[in-house]
Amino acid sequence: MLIHNRRHANLWTLLAPPAIWAIHFLLCYVAAAIACAKGGGPWVDLTTLRWVILGITIPALGLILVAGQQARRHWGFGTDDPPHDQATDEDRQHFLGYATLLLCALSFVSVIFVAMPAITIADCR
Amino acid sequence: MEQRTVTGRAMRAMPLAGLLTGCGGVQSALDPAGFEAEQVARLFWAMLIASGVIWVLVLGLASYAARRRGQPWSQQGASRLIVWAGAVVPTLLLAVLLFYGLRLMPELRAPGGPLRVHVEGEQFWWRVRYHPPGGAPVESANALVLPVGQRVEFSLSTRDVIHSFWVPALGGKMDMIPGRTNRLVLEPTRTGEFRGACAELCGASHALMAFTVRVVEPAEFEAWLAREAAPAAAVEPAAQAGEAAFLANGCGACHSVRGTAARGDIGPDLTHLASRPTIGAGILENSAENRAAFIARVDQIKPSARMPAYGTLPETEIAAIAAWLGTLR
Amino acid sequence: MPDSEDAARRKAQEARLEKTWETPSGWRYWSAVNNTEVGLWYTATSFLFFLFAGALALLVRAQLAVPDNDLISASLYNQAFTLHGTAMMFLFAVPIFEAVAILLLPTMLAARDLPFPRLSAYGYWCFLIGGVFVMGSIFFNAAPDAGWFMYPPLTTDPKLTGIGADIWLLGLSFIEVASIAAAVELIVGVLKCRPPGMRINTMPLYCWYVLIVGGMILFAFPPLIAGDILFELERLAGWPFFDASRGGDPVLWQHLFWIFGHPEVYIVFLPSIALLAMIVPTFARRPIIGYSWIVLAAVGTGFLSFGLWVHHMFTTGLPAISLGFFSAASEAVAIPTGVQIFVFVATMLAGKMTRSTPMLFAAGALAIFVFGGLTGVMVAIAPFDWQAHDSYFVVAHLHYVLIGGMVLPLFAGAYYYYPLIMARKLSDRIGRLVFWLMFLGFNIAFFPMHFTGLRGMPRRVFTYPGGIGWDWLNLISSAGAVLFAAGVLLFTWDAIWGIRRRADSPRNPWGAGTLEWLNPIPGPDYGVRSVPAIASRYPLWDDPELPRRVDEGREYLPDAEEGKRETLVTSVLDARPIQCLRVPGNSFMPMIAAVLTGAVFILTTFHLYWTGLAFGVAAILSILAWLWRGTAMVPEKHEKDIGRGVRLPLYASGIRSVGWWAMFITMTGDMTAFASLVFSYFYFWTIHPVFPPLDAAGLPMGPGLLWPGVALLAALGAWGAMLWARARNTAGQAGGLRLGLLAAVLLALASGGAMLMGPWANGLEPTTHAYPAAVWVLLGWAALHLAVGVIMTLYALARSLAGKLTREHDIDIHNVVLYWHFAAITAVVTLATVALFPLLA
Repeated sequence: MLIHNRRHANLWTLLAPPAIWAIHFLLCYVAAAIACAKGGGPWVDLTTLRWVILGITIPALGLILVAGQQARRHWGFGTDDPPHDQATDEDRQHFLGYATLLLCALSFVSVIFVAMPAITIADCR
Repeated sequence: MEQRTVTGRAMRAMPLAGLLTGCGGVQSALDPAGFEAEQVARLFWAMLIASGVIWVLVLGLASYAARRRGQPWSQQGASRLIVWAGAVVPTLLLAVLLFYGLRLMPELRAPGGPLRVHVEGEQFWWRVRYHPPGGAPVESANALVLPVGQRVEFSLSTRDVIHSFWVPALGGKMDMIPGRTNRLVLEPTRTGEFRGACAELCGASHALMAFTVRVVEPAEFEAWLAREAAPAAAVEPAAQAGEAAFLANGCGACHSVRGTAARGDIGPDLTHLASRPTIGAGILENSAENRAAFIARVDQIKPSARMPAYGTLPETEIAAIAAWLGTLR
Repeated sequence: MPDSEDAARRKAQEARLEKTWETPSGWRYWSAVNNTEVGLWYTATSFLFFLFAGALALLVRAQLAVPDNDLISASLYNQAFTLHGTAMMFLFAVPIFEAVAILLLPTMLAARDLPFPRLSAYGYWCFLIGGVFVMGSIFFNAAPDAGWFMYPPLTTDPKLTGIGADIWLLGLSFIEVASIAAAVELIVGVLKCRPPGMRINTMPLYCWYVLIVGGMILFAFPPLIAGDILFELERLAGWPFFDASRGGDPVLWQHLFWIFGHPEVYIVFLPSIALLAMIVPTFARRPIIGYSWIVLAAVGTGFLSFGLWVHHMFTTGLPAISLGFFSAASEAVAIPTGVQIFVFVATMLAGKMTRSTPMLFAAGALAIFVFGGLTGVMVAIAPFDWQAHDSYFVVAHLHYVLIGGMVLPLFAGAYYYYPLIMARKLSDRIGRLVFWLMFLGFNIAFFPMHFTGLRGMPRRVFTYPGGIGWDWLNLISSAGAVLFAAGVLLFTWDAIWGIRRRADSPRNPWGAGTLEWLNPIPGPDYGVRSVPAIASRYPLWDDPELPRRVDEGREYLPDAEEGKRETLVTSVLDARPIQCLRVPGNSFMPMIAAVLTGAVFILTTFHLYWTGLAFGVAAILSILAWLWRGTAMVPEKHEKDIGRGVRLPLYASGIRSVGWWAMFITMTGDMTAFASLVFSYFYFWTIHPVFPPLDAAGLPMGPGLLWPGVALLAALGAWGAMLWARARNTAGQAGGLRLGLLAAVLLALASGGAMLMGPWANGLEPTTHAYPAAVWVLLGWAALHLAVGVIMTLYALARSLAGKLTREHDIDIHNVVLYWHFAAITAVVTLATVALFPLLA
């Protein structure tokens, strides 16, 4: 799997966390759009949708945490701080791990942001 | 050019309190007169002050960095700056702001009161239909009158192109999109005269698609609505020639004047034209002279409007029509 | 290499390199394809469009200087602001990124050229033709006039629009093709053409940005191209995708446009910030702090920018919960942007700053951009946007973002890189004046607009009444615009005439650490004397001996023994050398192909379909002729010595060849366009309670199951035949290869025919309703891909017969099969969507 048990970091492992964000975002948007467009009218109750969003948000956060674990391992568990600027296999691996870890953090926060509307909005008005 | 002078005069004629001071103006979101506009204006000032502080801090730090002499920061210190100032603090601030905005949204879209108003955007004017609770619909155009302190539910639609209905002093805008009916709730909080406009490019005369909004006490509103629902008052004898000319030239094919033979549905309803402060969808002061100019040279005053110019009619006839329209209170 | 000590030998090497890479003179100059020439033309052309679009902005400001002005008519005003926005976005902001990247990237990578020089040239000529066509229309009073986002139905209704809308759609579609071509070139350039040893963690930050932005172009432009196709089909053939009265929806266009339109903002912003990421370390005299953070910011912004598009549609009446997601993503994207800014500040704090004109512009950019970013955070809050949207507040916001985030960094880059490109520095004295004129002019023009907008002035109004609080604000804005323009003009004067009186700049004039400053100034046509092995992020700082070794030809590829243009191909992560790539030389073919392609678009605009078709065939033939003579060339030997004892193959196929990467990347973009069409189909499903709609007999419409079933089997058969053909070729059986190719052609034709028979035989009339139109467009798209597959397959067959496609030299078959993977996916998804989905719905 791209986010788990990879020996070496590469560009795909780097892109995995924001890709998880993108899929989560898309699922939330599509689910809401269908619920409201097919529901009929602005007063459709969205309780089910809000549970669905919670149901996709928790796995998304979980996957990002898994990816973050792997990234931390690629980074060497924090034993080597940046700049990672040597032309060695080790620095390349640590750089990719560290950058991926940062992207995990950003993706984690962004997934939470995107789920926030489900807390405050209960219908299709 | 004609347009310049008459438009300018129309605007001078509007009662514009506190015009050149502060954020005032009949069309200002910063001089709010509605619940939504007040909420948003308060939010804006808060965000502006916060932004100003952030801007000063960031730029101050940057200019300190550019001028600093002496020992450079350590790699570790500089990295910490990125973590805290670049990532952590902005994330927290944004989360708070986002949460506030998300809570505000459903509140501003809460259901309106019993009065519903349907507004339809046309190139380049506004068809207005009041649906009072329990009463028959009342047809009007280009001038809104609203009761203070009541949440009014607007339904917005269009048949030609996209328009956007915006009264900055009362609240945000909402698009009118062919095939859809959008809702908007406005709650005026003080009486006064305001101006709204079309906010989405809708053709050559997009800039000339405005309307007036008069917010009055509820009792006054009820009285006004009853007057607006009635047919046009009996014609004063002096103006009868104007009515005849209006009908003879086919104006009634497009315009309605209830109580006469004019039953057109293409242009604005003119039944109570004389009670509106402006003509031509908020662009000219409602005077006999301007009404005549509009009839004769609408193609110049309002490019691409669907109404043809009637400049070929004898001037006396145009003047008679303009005079008669002035009697429709 | 012991004999590189020999001066005579070195001279001979230099002479051979010079002859091989020589820029032609006289009228043949325009056949040049080398990045130094094409990049320069590209930059100059997009700058000219910038000046033109700026002049249009001055016209707009002149009209708005006073209330009730009648300087220009409503119609001309609408054309002016439409072209201003269109040109600034499509003819300046995106192309100048491509232009600068084409100029700079090879120097940063110490490559002699980008991998597909003729593709760059083709892209340039497409851009020039399309740009002149679109901008020229204003002189015939025929320019588009409905704003740069062209909302239907104002733009689709034939009663309301002239030919301007067609000019916009077709002219810009043509340019979008050029942008995607440039994206392919730049992505492959960054991934595969780095110097040996320049690993992914040591490549210059500019390359990271180019990589991300190239990827964004692949996912952002295709939805617009898909939208353009739907739009043109509605305008030219009456297919009602956006016509609410026939089952369409104008809001669909808004989705497709802004799925492009918002990433677009970051597509123009990131490459300019990338210039700052090169400039700041140079003047801080230290490596950047937070290299990984920049990568985070670029990648994070690249992704998040695709979740913002609805914030341009906050007032369309979508449900609040939908707005909420986009509001959230719009706030989230501020995080990586903030990180980016603090990386620069941190680097400045940890370094020893020296003053310079580029840094002055960088500081001005920061001041303006930070404010634009803060107002961006404001408008991302939907309730505030309901007031600000489509008002002058938004005009102010977007100019703060674009001028602070794109134009001023670009000017910083111009002052920084002028000596590299034009061999001379721009004047610092004039530069300061230019800066203050632009900086003050900008703020005087645009700061008041925040208040003009909140005082209720909508954008895109050709006039406004006096006395409602907008008069003074507008007059001040217009005065500021004049100051800003004066700054730009002064810059232009210095850039063209001012520098003539100055002496050449010394080598590496700013004392920078990155490879683009490796060469002597002015540099030779062939670029670096030899391609160095790289071991750090700032090789010129870390290895002071490097320029001498490079100059003495002690590094890789110091010669062009065979008189062929060559550059190195390396592996993606660690830049291990894997191939010595022969790149094609100067040719008029790209220009001819661009002219013919342009003719197709222009003739279609004027409804000259048959002539257009004839030119279309000619364009395809010209591209085939170009490919035949310029790609997958069979080298005279297997491998060659590139110096320092390394031997590399001259030919590589499959995943090891750059052509395979280009095909893969192009088809990724193609799939995005396809996905947008599928999105449109399902969008119609969401807005219609009954979908597919019922026909006259009360039965659901549809293409049936028989013909789509036949089409599916034949398409899968064609794909299988291609796989089989490739396997035969690998086994060395030319006969099997040809048989497989022939079978694929026949099956593809059968499949394409069956696809179109489905809706035809079932009486789906595309002008009646959006549903049949959507079915037709999906099937037409899939059939078109099969047709292109047929042409490619026949091309491979011809290559095989001509002996250019063999077991050893099999680039063509690998790339064509790669295409077929995508075509097969397209066919399967299309058929499942149009035939099976109605059964579920």
